Amino acid sequence: MSKNLRTEKLSVGYGKKCVIEGIELDIEAGKIISLIGPNGCGKTTILRTVLKQLETLAGSVYVSGRDLSDMSGDDIAHFMSMVTTKRPVTELMTCREVVATGRYPYTGRFGLLNEKDEEKVREAIEFMHVESIAEEDFSKVSDGQKQRVMLARAICQEPEILVLDEPTSFLDIRYKLDILDGIYRLSREKNVTVIMSLHELDIARGISDKLVCIENGKIGRVGKPDEIYKDGYLAKLYGIDPDCFDEKTGTIILKEH
Amino acid sequence: MKISRKNYFPIFILLTLLLLILMVWNICTGSVDISVSDIVGVLTKGRGNDTASRIIMDIRMPRVIAAVVLGGALSVSGFLLQTFFRNPIAGPYVLGISSGAKLVVALFMIFMLSKGININSLGMVAAAFVGALMVTGFVLIISTKTRKMSLLIVCGILVGYVCSSITDLCVTFADDSNIVNLHNWSMGSLSGMNWNDVTIMTILVGLVVVIAFMYSKPIGAYQLGETYAESMGVKVKSLRVLVILLSSALSACVTAFAGPISFVGIAVPHLIKSITKTAKPLIHIPACFLGGAIITVFCDGISRTLFAPTELAISSVTSILLVPVVIFMMLRPGGRNE
Repeated sequence: MSKNLRTEKLSVGYGKKCVIEGIELDIEAGKIISLIGPNGCGKTTILRTVLKQLETLAGSVYVSGRDLSDMSGDDIAHFMSMVTTKRPVTELMTCREVVATGRYPYTGRFGLLNEKDEEKVREAIEFMHVESIAEEDFSKVSDGQKQRVMLARAICQEPEILVLDEPTSFLDIRYKLDILDGIYRLSREKNVTVIMSLHELDIARGISDKLVCIENGKIGRVGKPDEIYKDGYLAKLYGIDPDCFDEKTGTIILKEH
Repeated sequence: MKISRKNYFPIFILLTLLLLILMVWNICTGSVDISVSDIVGVLTKGRGNDTASRIIMDIRMPRVIAAVVLGGALSVSGFLLQTFFRNPIAGPYVLGISSGAKLVVALFMIFMLSKGININSLGMVAAAFVGALMVTGFVLIISTKTRKMSLLIVCGILVGYVCSSITDLCVTFADDSNIVNLHNWSMGSLSGMNWNDVTIMTILVGLVVVIAFMYSKPIGAYQLGETYAESMGVKVKSLRVLVILLSSALSACVTAFAGPISFVGIAVPHLIKSITKTAKPLIHIPACFLGGAIITVFCDGISRTLFAPTELAISSVTSILLVPVVIFMMLRPGGRNE
């Protein structure tokens, strides 16, 4: 039962306003699951609910077999870590120190790192290949570098489940590849379960073991990329002309004018 | 750009030494000159009945300790507010918290004095705390309506003005006998401290600063932003309440005992960061306390001696010395811009 994420009749939303109802997810350990759907469809809402940053409106979430509603913030931090699109604004923190904040759930009263913590920080830095910028000021490195550091931070938290909210948005192609490579190796080498929201349909097609499509207020198709990228389903999901989208690759086709 | 990580120990030693030197200078200078050996004498043999030991023990010693405690309180309060509002120019004075505290204390003083009741220091602190919380509460309500930090600061400044105006109004219509008392206090001054005041403020400020220090870890996580802090298991909501209560308690304490003292709360955390090159609360909170103490002892010394025997309001000195620091800090290239 370890490392999996399951939801039962889950409804998510802000305050009393329900955004999506009846979410049934069952994500196996070490798999990569992507949520796709138009802007504002509720991908982030689902992710934040899974992290217990938003209250569930109905239904339940089970993290490695444990009911999320019985878990404290500290418990959750031992099971799940996250990366969002928004890079934090830091002051006088080196990249290494940012990575080290991932050890928060494991350190004592004053947050001092012991040898094991230092080792984990080093491993995470090597895993994401950010050794060369480790001592640099986080606020001064490029956006792509920041995101690699943030992923290293999340790894250093030793999650069973990694939650990513549009991790590759706004990055150039090289950093997109770096981040995706990191996510992929994490799931395959360390058996970490990944749930993320994505806007890039080509990336979603390539990296995901399973896709969850979100239509107006409900879950649409769920399945392997090949089962989803057919019959013009995605064009319908996003409300676009089917001729403008290549289902084989997940890329845009510009019409000739 | 690399950040070099130094050993913080020598910095703490140097700051402590500087503070001690300034304290001795403060006790020695004034209308009556006191020698260092007089101080040593009083400290080792206890107070005698001579003029020197009376000046040291009754006037200058309590005053300089008050400057240490209240100066430290101001800058720790400033650091907490800057962390909370994620804004480099937040501080108890700028956000109107000091003015709110001042208003409630003034009302309280006028009311009690008109009834012929003398107010003790704890009563003053309580009144100041109520005033400080009123303003912070208001600023917090505004903060739920807008995400723009600049707007929040402007609101704080405006509320501060309103509070000051009402305070002035009260002073204008207060009985003559009360005014002298109120006027001196509302200018901000460390004069006339007694050991009773010093004991109470040391206990209060000590307690609050120790609590803040004990929460260094979650406050540090909060510096990465609320979402990330929450994902590390920080109870963000209760931490926010705690930080606001602690910083209000600190500014309330300062206002109750010394009246408003401006800009120490904003400038010192930045000065300290430029020395230590870290904003880590575990290092920063104690370093800020020392820094605030140093600046306040220094400024109080200047305010007493520059135009002696006339004494300046301490805020006149802190403003002139620290406003350039604040402006420099805001304009500094590569500074925080959000």
